[in-house]
Amino acid sequence: MTKYVIKRVIAAILTLWALITIVFFLVRLMPGEPFTNPKLSPQVIENMTKYYGFDKPLIVQYFQYLGNLLHGNFGFSMKYTNKTVNYIIGQTFPFSADLGLRALTLAISFGLVLGILAARKRGTKIDFVCVLIAIIGTSIPDFIMGALLQYFFGIKWGLLPIALYKGFKYTILPATALAFYTLASVSRIMRASMLEVTSQDYIKTARSKGLSELRITVKHQIRNAIMPVMTILGPTVAAVLTGTFVIEAIFAIPGMGKYYVESVNNNDYSMILGMTLFYGIFLVTANLIVDILYGVADPRVRIGKK
Amino acid sequence: MKKRLLALAMVAALIIATLASCSTPGGDSSSGGEKVFRYATNTEPTTFDLTKGNSIGDNEIQHAISEGLTRNTGGNVTPGIAESWDISEDGCVYTFHLRDANWSDGQPIKAQDFVYSWQRLVDPAVSSPYAWYLDTIGVKNAAGVNSGELKPEELGIKAIDDKTLEITLDRPMAVLLSALGMQSNLNPLRQDIVEQYGDEFAATADKNVYSGPFVLTSTENNLYVFEKNPEFWDADNIKLDRVELNYIEKADTALGLYESGELDYVRLDNAVVENYKDNDDYGIYLNGNVDYCYINPNSDNPVWANKNFRLALNYALNRVEYNQLANSGLYNPYNALCFPGLTGKGGKTYGETYDVNSYAYPMEGDVEKAQAYLADAMKELGIANASDIEIEFVTTDAESNKKIAEVLQEQWQNALGIKVNIRQVTYADIYGEVYPKFDYEIGYAGWGPDYDDPTTYLNLFRSDVNWYTPYGNPDFDAKLDAAQAITDDPDARMDLLNEAEQILIEDGAWVPLQARNQSYLLSPKMKDVTFYSFSINIDWAYADVAE
Repeated sequence: MTKYVIKRVIAAILTLWALITIVFFLVRLMPGEPFTNPKLSPQVIENMTKYYGFDKPLIVQYFQYLGNLLHGNFGFSMKYTNKTVNYIIGQTFPFSADLGLRALTLAISFGLVLGILAARKRGTKIDFVCVLIAIIGTSIPDFIMGALLQYFFGIKWGLLPIALYKGFKYTILPATALAFYTLASVSRIMRASMLEVTSQDYIKTARSKGLSELRITVKHQIRNAIMPVMTILGPTVAAVLTGTFVIEAIFAIPGMGKYYVESVNNNDYSMILGMTLFYGIFLVTANLIVDILYGVADPRVRIGKK
Repeated sequence: MKKRLLALAMVAALIIATLASCSTPGGDSSSGGEKVFRYATNTEPTTFDLTKGNSIGDNEIQHAISEGLTRNTGGNVTPGIAESWDISEDGCVYTFHLRDANWSDGQPIKAQDFVYSWQRLVDPAVSSPYAWYLDTIGVKNAAGVNSGELKPEELGIKAIDDKTLEITLDRPMAVLLSALGMQSNLNPLRQDIVEQYGDEFAATADKNVYSGPFVLTSTENNLYVFEKNPEFWDADNIKLDRVELNYIEKADTALGLYESGELDYVRLDNAVVENYKDNDDYGIYLNGNVDYCYINPNSDNPVWANKNFRLALNYALNRVEYNQLANSGLYNPYNALCFPGLTGKGGKTYGETYDVNSYAYPMEGDVEKAQAYLADAMKELGIANASDIEIEFVTTDAESNKKIAEVLQEQWQNALGIKVNIRQVTYADIYGEVYPKFDYEIGYAGWGPDYDDPTTYLNLFRSDVNWYTPYGNPDFDAKLDAAQAITDDPDARMDLLNEAEQILIEDGAWVPLQARNQSYLLSPKMKDVTFYSFSINIDWAYADVAE
């Protein structure tokens, strides 16, 4: 198991290095320059090019960037000129993570319950309702869901705040809107996987041994059926925690999502790199944890098995 | 079984705890008995370092937290840090006498603080985006210092003593006093504070000192909090205790918050103006932006060097219809270059002083005339069929710009029978490559004024200015130079500038489209909020809340 984990960690670090290198050179191929303010005189552009070191050979800039990275320094944003990328991430990530954590908890707990319920009561009205929720969740985009929630709960019924993020009641609508899609996919996958497991031999064996239905479901069915759900959780966790542009924008939450999208539009090189790397670290770590959990849940997965 | 129940209970408790956890990273703020103004912006401030401010949003904030030599409130220029000033006979040397005023930390504001600020603005090593500003308002040696040819000490600003400041221009600029009160890049800076924080100067509210009516107390979490500055020299006349600026990207969200009473001012999206324009709290201001198409006469396509072809495009447009189709009729169709709200002659605006319609392109177009110009152009260029002419129109990929391009395409194709192709590029591409490198034939852009004088628009078309268009015309340059030479007769100068604008029109130097305006909702309890068209849109420094 230790060897398996070490191998995974090394692969993760190599992945990140490859990511930095590819993104570093790719952003330079994007059309345009990072100085996109319409009011820059040619002299000012020349001065700024020098200031950010863009007049040096690309390879020199690359090693400089790697050197800074080793000190954990993502550099200064080119648009928000006095702020470092580290500072911006430090300011915005807690909001994205807070919202994401709430949404994830909601999505996973309700998603699993719905999926299990639907599979257990297959063909009944309960199943129908669960499937309906799953279809609605996967087919309605989150920005429409967000706007609908805002309209009904915020404007029409006046129950909850429309936007901003200043306390518990502010979190309910955005977390629900954000959770919906993940909730739906978790419940859909869980239902399908539960049904698949039901027809397996070991379930029949368990049943013939005379075990109680509850025990079969909890101990044999769920444990085996949860594997596909875990697979999608890695990327989902990373995506949800690091900020979702649309929900954050609709609910005016000061999260990370906007900076990521905006940095690409503005060719803000240091911000694009910093954000991509931060997201990359998250994704790779989440996948790493899923890989390890996989090993825990299913002994066959462990590569170094004896 | 017991163990399992316990585990189940723990998981359930964890879920509930996560969902219901009351502490979010932000935290609520409330007020009692204070005069508070709360509003929203959809452009996030990029910096609180006044040297590096580079947008109207940045400038509006600095206008509240820093004080210039003068203060310009919606065009009304009053003394600021400078109590009085003398102007030399040739209009080139201004001597300012500073009042006793303090920074927010109690230190006196000195003439040297202005010198430091101005030198920093043009220092190539600082690389301020607005370094060009000092040159446009005629400050001596500003361009030379910015290009690194001259030393910062050679800039036309000098502290005679702590309370006397001398500014030298290389040409008379009557607009200087107005610009000093509105362009916050020109306000004082404390060298010791800037050097103490280095690159992190002004990164957060506490890493700065303030000279203006308000101090910034927080910039966290997209909420910018301003509180009255007790050290401000005119603090007795500042009514608001606190101002909260929320950065909210989506106009719909801001509008929802306004309607639920959480904001006192929002800008309206064009799409919803129709629903609000009869309300009492509805208002509209001209923001000085004039939108038009730049033309690249040096393009590989030979038609652009032909004056008659450029005129054909201009006469072919029905700008009233264009404005209806492209902007839902919300802006003002415009047929000239200089924003009509500029100060003109004898207390009148530029638009009132000169009858633009008498010399500019007909607002509804004149297709016959356009076709005649096209025929002339084709004769000169040796083109037999109009359908052989193909031009490329460049714009960004924003949905609204696409619509504009398509309306223009249709009007030109229908009126002239030429072929118009649309090329859409990203925002970063158009301002980073396409315009700076003149990699276009005709493109959609515009200009917001930097100060209240026609030259803020006209200078863009000088032969020696190559920002957007390589256009050049010796007659036009000569008119501008002649206007510049006049020091004692502002009316004669204004006439010359107007004649220069007419030269551009006769030459088809560009294609004017519209003057922009902005609709907003402002809570009726707010008093004395001022709207302005030059570098500042909303000015609440001297605003008040009705009891």
